[in-house]
Amino acid sequence: MKMRWPFRAPATPGDDEIRREIADHLELEAEDVSRYGAGRGEATAAARRHFGNATFVAEEMRAIWHPTWIEQLAQDLRHGVRGLRHSPAYTLTATITLALGIGASTAVFSLGDHVLERPFPQLPEHQLVWIVQRSPRECPTCDNASPASLIALQERATTLSAVGAAQLWRASLNGHGNDPSDLVTGYRVTPNLFSLAAVPFALGNGFSRDAGTPGRDAVAILSYEYWRRRFDGSRGVLDSTIMLDGAPRRVVGVLANGIAFPEAVDVYEPLVLTAADGNDHGSRYLDVFGRLAAGASVADAQREAARISMQMASESPKTDAGWVLLPRPLNAFHNDDTATLVRIFAVAAALVLVAACLSAANLSLARTSARRREMALRAALGGRRGRLARHLLTEALLVSLAGSALGIGLAAWGIGSASGIIPPSMARYSPGLAFVAVDGRALAFTLALCIAVTLLFALAPVLRATRVPLSAVLAGGGRGSVGDAHGTRLRAALVVVEVSVAIIVLSAAALLTRSARNMVNGDPGVRLDHVLTMQLSLPRGTSDSAARTFVSRLDGRLRNTPGVLAAGVASTTPLSNNWWGTIFSVPGRPPRPNGSPLTANDQRITGDYFRAMGIRILSGRSIDADDRADTSAQRVAVINHYMASHVWPGSDPLGRAIVIDSVPWTIVGVAADVYHGGLDESLRNEIYRAAAQAPSTAMDLEVWTAGDPRAMREPIRQAVATVDPRAAVGDVMTMREMEARHISPFWLIADVVNTFAIIVVLIAVVGLYGVIAYGVAQRRRELAVRMALGATRRDIVSHVAGGAVRLTTIGVAVGLLGAVAFARLLEAVLYGVPAGDPLTLASVAALLITASIAAALIPCWRAARVHPAHSLSE
Amino acid sequence: MPPTRDQLELLQGTLDMLILKTLLFGPAHGHGIAKHIQHTTREVLVVEHGSLYPALHRLERNGWIASKWQAPPGRTRALKFYRLTAAGRRQLRTQESRWDALVGAIGRVMQPAPEA
Repeated sequence: MKMRWPFRAPATPGDDEIRREIADHLELEAEDVSRYGAGRGEATAAARRHFGNATFVAEEMRAIWHPTWIEQLAQDLRHGVRGLRHSPAYTLTATITLALGIGASTAVFSLGDHVLERPFPQLPEHQLVWIVQRSPRECPTCDNASPASLIALQERATTLSAVGAAQLWRASLNGHGNDPSDLVTGYRVTPNLFSLAAVPFALGNGFSRDAGTPGRDAVAILSYEYWRRRFDGSRGVLDSTIMLDGAPRRVVGVLANGIAFPEAVDVYEPLVLTAADGNDHGSRYLDVFGRLAAGASVADAQREAARISMQMASESPKTDAGWVLLPRPLNAFHNDDTATLVRIFAVAAALVLVAACLSAANLSLARTSARRREMALRAALGGRRGRLARHLLTEALLVSLAGSALGIGLAAWGIGSASGIIPPSMARYSPGLAFVAVDGRALAFTLALCIAVTLLFALAPVLRATRVPLSAVLAGGGRGSVGDAHGTRLRAALVVVEVSVAIIVLSAAALLTRSARNMVNGDPGVRLDHVLTMQLSLPRGTSDSAARTFVSRLDGRLRNTPGVLAAGVASTTPLSNNWWGTIFSVPGRPPRPNGSPLTANDQRITGDYFRAMGIRILSGRSIDADDRADTSAQRVAVINHYMASHVWPGSDPLGRAIVIDSVPWTIVGVAADVYHGGLDESLRNEIYRAAAQAPSTAMDLEVWTAGDPRAMREPIRQAVATVDPRAAVGDVMTMREMEARHISPFWLIADVVNTFAIIVVLIAVVGLYGVIAYGVAQRRRELAVRMALGATRRDIVSHVAGGAVRLTTIGVAVGLLGAVAFARLLEAVLYGVPAGDPLTLASVAALLITASIAAALIPCWRAARVHPAHSLSE
Repeated sequence: MPPTRDQLELLQGTLDMLILKTLLFGPAHGHGIAKHIQHTTREVLVVEHGSLYPALHRLERNGWIASKWQAPPGRTRALKFYRLTAAGRRQLRTQESRWDALVGAIGRVMQPAPEA
């Protein structure tokens, strides 16, 4: 190694020190000179003359200590800021345009990042897996796993350090003496689930290891949200006893704020798996989660799980053959629903960003065209091309940095205002939504975006400006009479792309809005006005006969309640997003070729359900009070029209039988179709049976009221409490509220895409205006010549406006192709409007062409006022 | 001070060597170095004073000279003094031998020795 002396690096002299050293020199030199008899002023002047340019020398001395690129960068930045200050209109427009594009992208990035990538930020997400059990043949999209497979994974998997499970359940909770019961949703979880997922607690702890054994399971955990809502966040709730489904349970913990694992529910209790359960291979009802062992990847776990599946299939081929356990990253648990939505937003935001970049490039091109003389001169005077390019890039970087800063603000504001309108039904299934914010990752994304944007929008101007031959510009004379023909063509091309991007986003927005409106106006097949709906649940262990008694007494009670026109129970309410699936078969008919059984939505109702919900009976009869449980009474069913026409196409199903759980049910009626899952979902088979003949402890109550259904909340609650005070009531709402809850996500999508569309259209129209106006300004001489040669104002206006319409038409034509492509992505969320709806596309095109004519009006007016004499003498 | 007909401009790169050589006789401030070069070359070599300072700073940054603010005898105000470092001495030796080689080579071209 080469030794250096002194060891200590020399200290970098400051500006003061450099100035002082030079001043000292000048003083000493002046002293010297004055010794030969010169006057003081003369001596100082001579000293300066001998020295040369002091400022330049000082600059050079500084440059020795600072690497030159920093100096040059600083210089570029200084020049950039100065240049931008000289054209505030350009700077402001370009900054705002870019801010809109960057803001939209940053907001959508934050959304996607939190909702899809990191839905559980408080958990070690990347070490957790969700294990689904599927059969490519029987159920390729199934998610739930059997208890036997849970045990198998726990015992055999080495790539998983722990495996646990959860099962969604609905219960009544009574925490305060004789208060009416709350109907709550909860999860039964294996005692190890919270510890394997490292779930933090606000109060207390998770379940003890033995909480899953019968007798030790009288414990419960509350979610933070429910604890705040129901127990006012009181610490005293810990170790207190609550009544869950009529059984006392000790509260051992409250989850930390924000934990919605596996999804947002109210309470948790231990999942008890007996030895018999552990041998259950056939019923798949568990959400299984595992933690990866140290060093194991998801792929490792998938390989091992596949091996274990093979072992299970050979051990119990009857139940497990063909079924495969598949560990997936934890974020897959919710993603399937929200991914489409985020993808739609992402495409729209990316298009906004593209339009913004093109528009900024266009503005920048206009500006560099105006500065062509400056650039050409600088190049001629020895300014190196690289340096000129760097100068333009620095300016672009400054603009996009400003745009990014503003865009981050816009994104934060947008997320803040959007989080207020996120429907609870969405929030429940997307735990990440609660955490969406512009954080460090989003900032890194924005920074990367900013650099990409700079390159994208500075590229064209840089290439153009640095290739200008001096002669061409200087020969062009004062106000470029012919103009920068190539530059104008490039700018026109950019505007065409802007217009086509605008068409794409605008048509998506129009389709989504029409779809949402169709859903509001559409008829789901049930009465929406004057209907109150609620969930009812009887205590665990209620016998079938007790459930029957409850339903018939409730029916009788409500018939005599003033203000009630009709009331009936059903298993699940249309539009509630709840289903009860059942498997049925048709006697004498072979199972379907692919082996999958026939399924239907199982509705167990009382006679007045059809009347309360306004569902017509198309043929046969309804369920009535005579359809009793007595063995003498025939087991009957009413089916929906869809099922009638699909299971018995072309023949009358009345009098035929279906078999459910080995019991034959005779079809006595066909009811009109109900869009149970909402208008956006297709119809399914539905089977209505008498609640007396197929009793259940959980049901929904629908009440058709004479007046405002909300006013009937308390009377109905009281009626329920009078019939059985232990019956829990939950989710009390009107059918209109239920409908709004179902539709609101679609409005949200439409609103967001509409916002993006407005931005993009504005950008395109402003861009078009800019090109037309610039063209008119550049061609004043040409227009003046035309007028001097006899062109009328009308000719001039139609000439200019024609240019605008031509550009827009090309853009529209290109954009419509893109719009059709984007619409395919929208198909999943569209209702009642085909993705390539010609009416929508045509009106969007018409709207944009109209807007472009409006944008061309002012330049047209200017063009018409061109005065031949004035313009030619300029 | 633009060079007159009898003055010569400094050859590129030789200023560094002259500075190092000057400092061999002891520490000096910038003005003193300029004067020394001017006097010892009997005013033949012109150093634009301004060009001296960037050269000094470059040498200091390379570690060949070191600087210190100190008041010379008879003055109250401190001036920036430069002195040669050990690395500077080695650098000077290298430059001197290169210079000798250069001068020798050019000399042989300009005044070839008569063939023996």
